[in-house]
Amino acid sequence: MRRGAIPLFAVLLGLLALAFTGIPSFYLVLLGTVCFWIAQATSWNLLSGYAGYFSFGQAAYVGVGAYTTAVLTGRHGVGFFWTLPIAALLCGLLALGIGAVAFRLGSLRGEIFALLTLAVPFILAAFARINRSVDGGQGTSVPPPDVPGWLGDFQQFQYLLAVAVAGLAVGVAFVIQHSRTGSALAAIHDDEDVAEVLGVPTYRYKMLAIAVGGVLGGLGGSVYALQIGFVTVESVFGLMIPLFVIVMAVLGGRGHWLGPVLGAVLIVTLQDRLTSYGLDEWNAIILGAILAVLVAVAPAGLYARLRSRPLLALAGFVVVCGVLAIANVWGEELDWIVAGLLAAAAAAVLVRRRTTTPVPTPAAAVDKTDVDLPAAPLGEIIVECRGVAKHFGGVHALDDVTLDIREGELIGLVGPNGSGKTTLVNLLSGTFRPTAGEIRVGGADITTLAPHQIAHVGMARTYQIPKPFSSMTVRDNVATAIVFGRTPVSLREARPLADRHLATVALGHLADAYPAQLNLHQRQLLEMARAIAANPKVLLLDEALAGLNPAEVDNAVRVVRRIHSTGITIVIVEHLLRVLNQLATRMVVLDRGTVLADGEPRAVLSDPEVVRAYLGRQAHV
Amino acid sequence: MNVVQAVLSGALIGGLYALMAIGLSVTWGVLRIINLVHFGLILISAYLTFQLATSWGVDPLLTLLVTVPAMFVAGAALQWLFDRLAVSEFNSLLVSFGLLIITIQVAANIWSADFQRMTASVNPYATASVSLGRLVFPVTTLVAFVLAGVVVLGAHLVLRRTFAGRALRAIAQDSAVAGAFGVDHRRLSLVLGGLVGATAALAGAVFALSNALTPETAYEWFGIVFAVVILGGVGEVTGTLAAGILVGVLSGVVAVVWSPATAPFVLFTAIILALLLRPRGLFAIGAVR
Amino acid sequence: MRRRFLTALAAATALTMVTAGCNRGGAEEGGDQPIVVGSTLSLTGAFAATGLIHKIAGEEYVARLNAAGGLLGRKVEWKVLDDQSDQSKVSQLYEKLITQDKVDLLMGPYATPNILSAMAVAQRHGYVLPQHTAVLAPQLTYECQFPAWSIGPQPNSFIPNQLFDAVATLPAPPTKVAVLTSQSGSAAFVSDGFKDDRAGAISIAKEKGLQVVVDVHYPPTTTDWAPIATQVRDANPDLVISNGLGVDAVNILQAMKQLNYVPKKMFALFPAPGPLLALGKPANGLLSVSMFEPNKATLAKLPPEATEIVDQFTARAKEAKLPYTVFETQATASWNAWQILTAGVTGSGGTDQKKMCDSLHSKGADTVFSGHLTFDPKDHNFWPTTQSLKQIQDGDWVTVWPADKATAPLR
Repeated sequence: MRRGAIPLFAVLLGLLALAFTGIPSFYLVLLGTVCFWIAQATSWNLLSGYAGYFSFGQAAYVGVGAYTTAVLTGRHGVGFFWTLPIAALLCGLLALGIGAVAFRLGSLRGEIFALLTLAVPFILAAFARINRSVDGGQGTSVPPPDVPGWLGDFQQFQYLLAVAVAGLAVGVAFVIQHSRTGSALAAIHDDEDVAEVLGVPTYRYKMLAIAVGGVLGGLGGSVYALQIGFVTVESVFGLMIPLFVIVMAVLGGRGHWLGPVLGAVLIVTLQDRLTSYGLDEWNAIILGAILAVLVAVAPAGLYARLRSRPLLALAGFVVVCGVLAIANVWGEELDWIVAGLLAAAAAAVLVRRRTTTPVPTPAAAVDKTDVDLPAAPLGEIIVECRGVAKHFGGVHALDDVTLDIREGELIGLVGPNGSGKTTLVNLLSGTFRPTAGEIRVGGADITTLAPHQIAHVGMARTYQIPKPFSSMTVRDNVATAIVFGRTPVSLREARPLADRHLATVALGHLADAYPAQLNLHQRQLLEMARAIAANPKVLLLDEALAGLNPAEVDNAVRVVRRIHSTGITIVIVEHLLRVLNQLATRMVVLDRGTVLADGEPRAVLSDPEVVRAYLGRQAHV
Repeated sequence: MNVVQAVLSGALIGGLYALMAIGLSVTWGVLRIINLVHFGLILISAYLTFQLATSWGVDPLLTLLVTVPAMFVAGAALQWLFDRLAVSEFNSLLVSFGLLIITIQVAANIWSADFQRMTASVNPYATASVSLGRLVFPVTTLVAFVLAGVVVLGAHLVLRRTFAGRALRAIAQDSAVAGAFGVDHRRLSLVLGGLVGATAALAGAVFALSNALTPETAYEWFGIVFAVVILGGVGEVTGTLAAGILVGVLSGVVAVVWSPATAPFVLFTAIILALLLRPRGLFAIGAVR
Repeated sequence: MRRRFLTALAAATALTMVTAGCNRGGAEEGGDQPIVVGSTLSLTGAFAATGLIHKIAGEEYVARLNAAGGLLGRKVEWKVLDDQSDQSKVSQLYEKLITQDKVDLLMGPYATPNILSAMAVAQRHGYVLPQHTAVLAPQLTYECQFPAWSIGPQPNSFIPNQLFDAVATLPAPPTKVAVLTSQSGSAAFVSDGFKDDRAGAISIAKEKGLQVVVDVHYPPTTTDWAPIATQVRDANPDLVISNGLGVDAVNILQAMKQLNYVPKKMFALFPAPGPLLALGKPANGLLSVSMFEPNKATLAKLPPEATEIVDQFTARAKEAKLPYTVFETQATASWNAWQILTAGVTGSGGTDQKKMCDSLHSKGADTVFSGHLTFDPKDHNFWPTTQSLKQIQDGDWVTVWPADKATAPLR
């Protein structure tokens, strides 16, 4: 089992056992509140943290969950335990509905998605108010359920429920993070379009994340209804819950399942202590100040900082807590713990770590052995374009392009700026759909397929401006492509395979570095490695050599040759003619959206039409 | 007749909504900061209007002479803080939320949490109105509408006609490149922050003219203001005014024809539809971006 | 530079907390242990506007009580925590007060949702809970919950009936009524009834032969009152019933005045009293429910301590910078609640919760402002109401109905 699983289980069992130790019920209630927020923050984090789709609508799930329980038990006498699966189901459906609208109908991203989720609780609140059978504005009492005797009294029961829901949420987050879904969501977070083209079925994973998040949020809402005993529209559909959920998750750290847990623990206990001191006029000010400061100083969240300096944080906690406990002049245990937590957070956040990030070593001695292109017999036709056109409104980017690509070819796609080269690449990879015409890959019509399906048919591409997944190491970037390639593989299995592809592009020495530390050339090589990782049949290189110095260009050419020698058909969009001369077996020239010439490089380049269109009246070859 | 009056009143109060929303929208669109403290500035301005008018016995509108410059400074200072902290767009939401909580608490500490309202002797505007036949223009919302119009017109002219305006639009699109062309991002953003603060002062003053104040009021504005920002398009000044009017009119008409309880339901459903059909905002013309 | 600034800020924060903690340190050593009363109040958040009144009233009560020798010879200490108008914090804090701080007695919080949450906790632990303002009798099912403000077991019938009886005595009794209802808690209850009990302002108006010309339900988040005002103006009712809370009535009146319309007669259910007075002329003649108004005539009928209490409250409220410092219904509710609590203690001779509950049921409680209260579990302890109607006359609230309590004629 994974590394964190055992401690997680242990903590969960410990928490469950706590209920029966005779501890004062106040602690159970406090922990229950912490668990409520852990559940909410964690379930929010699945879509919003992992995948980067910030949602302001957490109140929708809490509200629906709470009202389901309140109305069913309070007005119709349904047993409490039955309301849990019903609430989960309703919230799941609601989440799927929101997802279908946002992801499918609208392809909404970023702030637009956030604003859409903001509107949902308002609609539900209005609905609850209007509808007398739901609420009509009066609020609904939640009668305490019949608790089986062995579960203890009401507070213990409620605590156990809260722990169970929180445990479920954290468990789900843990499993997701370490699974394919986690890799997919991380890829979507970094660059959804790239992920889609790489083979990640993004829609499916987003729907999964939003649905699971909704279900967990709804379960938390049901238990919440039990805790407050009286549900009103303001208390469950208000804005405070979503805002604080976001605060906790961001404060704790959005990329990891522990983040929301940390955030929830810190904020809830801090608020509790502030309240118990009766500093009513200062409570909010202190909370707001801590929030603003922590987010400003540790924008990636506390977890990342704690992880990089675990010992210092632990020392801070132990020292402060210990000193306060021994001195015993101020406060009580909970105060010391909270003070210790704050000290640990401060230590981790404020003490800046000396950068020990690996300085990328200069490019390892590149394998200068050239691979001779075997005079291979040209294979079957693998890509057919028939009458392909792409219009953007009145702009005809491509008009009537007819083209065949055979297996094993290395085609240079050239043309002046605006001639439609990148558009053609986009069409072939599925980023756009053609306005007219057909495209077949390996016999299958790809114009109706989603980009990730086209990837699985065997098409891969790189981007002119490299778009690596910034939160993953170089190796993981490539590994992700393998994980979501044609034959699904786990991340662990994919990593050694990734190393091999990195070796092909001579990037192996940087496998553990992050894309931010790479220079442009290295990033382009990464693009290529990622593109070939899924063993595509066809590789589209979109100006992969842009911005390189001559030495780097030569290196890149060698890499392309190596890739070609493994049997991948390559279409390379380029401006540098000397490169194409060295590489291409065939040249296709586009001009203003149509194919101007198509054939042997030498012949094409001396075609006067081509010279005129591309090079102007001066000819340089 | 009901409906016509509802349309009219809705359009006018839409001016107030727009006046509140413009600041938030512009900061978000141009400076990529979701500044929740804007609500705090509106709240403080409202309280200041109340306090100054009551203590000095002056016409509430005259207090603008004090509150507008004060909020200009506050807005610029806030913007300076955000620039120094260099927070990401999303994190700015949380940092500003923390600051908003502080602002609200400070307001409560100074003015107590109880309802504060200018008495009729101090504030003659609350119940005043201008009549045209059967149609009535309440003075408070009329003032809001006029101010909103002035602000939008001013913003439009500045953005289109002046260098600063063009610079702002450049910053909104790509501040690094704009910098390469000599656009001083820092100074301009301070000025913009100040102007946004000034609009908060206007909004707060108008709000104080017709409402009782409590610190929690700041949270009650979230829904409406975000609705207007969404519909108008983030960063689009003219769009915000149009969206404010639309929100006011739509809510008003639904309230009269159907029921006030249904108004938020219809409004927010309309917003979802708008987001699906025109994600950039219903009125994406004359945009900053 | 930034780090130093932030470190300093963090240190300052920590220091504040420590200093505050130290202030708590001074525990009373030796002598009689004080009786600790625990409660929460909404000192911040949506309900804070009225929560403050209860804090001031409570503090005044405890001070007076201690000055008069305390309770059972012991000093009384009131531990009140801020629940931030948040229901989940209410239940958490009451659990804390009971199980961790082990307070001797409980006092209720403010605002119906919070009271219901607190009631659940009190019920679980068997504590007596006097509560200030929840009048939704059907929902308050715990037998040791004692209301300080009672509109009887069926406020949804009582209030409309009382109102209609009162206005029927006017020279031109109303025949057409408009009912405006806020979709929240008690307001909706009074208009529409609860569950099977459908009696409410609307149904009772019809029963009495009045014509309901406007029936509008609005959400508490309403910001534009013009549509409602327009409908009322056009329907031209004789009586506008605004079943709303807080500043709804002010906003509606203002919106109507902006349309150059002043309703012939208007009633507001649970308004915040201050802002209505600030509205000036348009609010003249507005009716509302009341438990007590410190009118001279009323005070004259009560023992002298009533006047003292009223004046001291005003002084304290002014100190707290409250804009409206009059000791009226809300403060009275607070006072009643505390008197119920102490009656329970003195009546049972101790702080045993069960005995206190029984004592209150059998002996009731004496209060300065509402007389003797009797608690019948069948009515969920809602004592026979002494509710009256108040009206704004010449810029002040005066009691106008029923006749034996009125200090001024109903206009």
